[in-house]
Amino acid sequence: MIADGPIPLRVHDIESLSPSLKRFSLTALHGGELPTAAPGAHIMLTLRGPDRVMKNAYSLVSPAACRDRYQIIVRHVAQSRGGSAFLHQGIRPGDVIEAAPPVNLFPLSQSARKHLLIGGGIGITPLLSYLPLLKARGARFELHQISSAEDVGVFERLLAPFAPGQEIRIHGGGRGAFDLAGILSRQPLGTHLYVCGPRPLMDAAASTAAALGWPPGKVHKESFGEAAGGLPFKAILARRGIEIDVGETQTLLEAIEATGIAAPCLCRGGACGECRLPVIEGEVEHRDDFLSAEEKAAQSAVMTCVSRARSARLVIDF
Amino acid sequence: MTDQGIKSRPKYQRLALDPSGRHHLLLIDGPALSSEAADAGFDIAACETWIVIRRSAVPPEPILAEAPGAIRPFRSTAHLFSALQDRLARETMGLRIYAAGTEDFLWDIHGIADQAGMSRQELRFCHVGSKARRIFCVHCRTITAGVKTSIVACSGCGASLFVRDHFSRRLAAFMGVQVDAEAPGEVPDAEEIYA
Repeated sequence: MIADGPIPLRVHDIESLSPSLKRFSLTALHGGELPTAAPGAHIMLTLRGPDRVMKNAYSLVSPAACRDRYQIIVRHVAQSRGGSAFLHQGIRPGDVIEAAPPVNLFPLSQSARKHLLIGGGIGITPLLSYLPLLKARGARFELHQISSAEDVGVFERLLAPFAPGQEIRIHGGGRGAFDLAGILSRQPLGTHLYVCGPRPLMDAAASTAAALGWPPGKVHKESFGEAAGGLPFKAILARRGIEIDVGETQTLLEAIEATGIAAPCLCRGGACGECRLPVIEGEVEHRDDFLSAEEKAAQSAVMTCVSRARSARLVIDF
Repeated sequence: MTDQGIKSRPKYQRLALDPSGRHHLLLIDGPALSSEAADAGFDIAACETWIVIRRSAVPPEPILAEAPGAIRPFRSTAHLFSALQDRLARETMGLRIYAAGTEDFLWDIHGIADQAGMSRQELRFCHVGSKARRIFCVHCRTITAGVKTSIVACSGCGASLFVRDHFSRRLAAFMGVQVDAEAPGEVPDAEEIYA
């Protein structure tokens, strides 16, 4: 089966894992099996709030073999842009949510001899989808989860089913007590690194790995577009002759979508490159992982899902 | 016929040190690095170097330093390959391998490195020495070594094989296809072009 159109899902169950974490189980509205989602995949949910429509991407935490439901874990963040607050407060079991078919931008390497998994906070979610497959294959892996002190208990419970006999560690002292360079320097040849978490953790992991001689092809990052806000600016869609106000808590992509125009997008986290649009005028503040340093310096394209304008106006060829 | 325009034909470059690596291991099919294998600025002292001297009288091995600047001699390529397998099994991420030698030598190293989980980004190869080819017969699966001619008799089934540029990294061999499959007995003269 090739999934292309949106998938209507029914909220089957909502479990509270901690004061700020909830696990949502979503089943197919019309029954039957859902499209297979390989470990590391995410789904984009269309959340119809009272005053606006939000599209947020969430990693699936359910095993790939599980076709009767998709599970996601959502953290309610204090400075939420709306999506996580809406899921936590506005969604009840039985509600219907529309999802785009699963997409995987964070797959496990098939040639790795060992998998080193590093999660920061809620960045644990894609790693949770890896563990059933790694266990089933008897693959060699090591997992480090960085956590605030209050979240240690919930992460311990989530990882407990996979923990016996495995190298799984939860670091409750935050980033400071975590010896990233020590861990990266002792990994055997053929190790692949997967890191998901806040931007500073992913940047530190990537730069430390590079400094220790890891080739770029063995370092995998999954971002979740956490730094979306910034100064407001005006976006001008040149082909359509439209001027749009992009607010402080809104992404450029969301502002375009709010006018009813369907703009290209896929991951909504600056990773896949799908939302790239050419820039005619204005300065871009690049926040994506897709464009190369040269492309960013050229200021000729913008990833609308995460990047913003540094100038007051940004003219886009769209 | 010397360039058949086939994309799988490997391309090689003179060796240059990859500054992103943390440890550097240089493997040479011979007693020393030939000047055609590396740029003039190639800093051999930054590498641990393994050489193949093809003599039984290997100097007695002191406690071998696994360190930049150390040079370790081997009796044969097989001797070096065996040590390489053991070494890679206990190496850490950050290693770069540089190899200079015949294509057989380079692609046997590729196979060992691949088994250890190394990717092409971690390997640098320069082809020096004989251009003789290892030929895989697509009909009987036998590998015929040291082929210098455009057409060769398969050492397994005797078929006259046309030596293609089509290269298999998995088999570390070029493809050989029966040249007179359409018209049995019509075998062109073999030319020595892979000396």
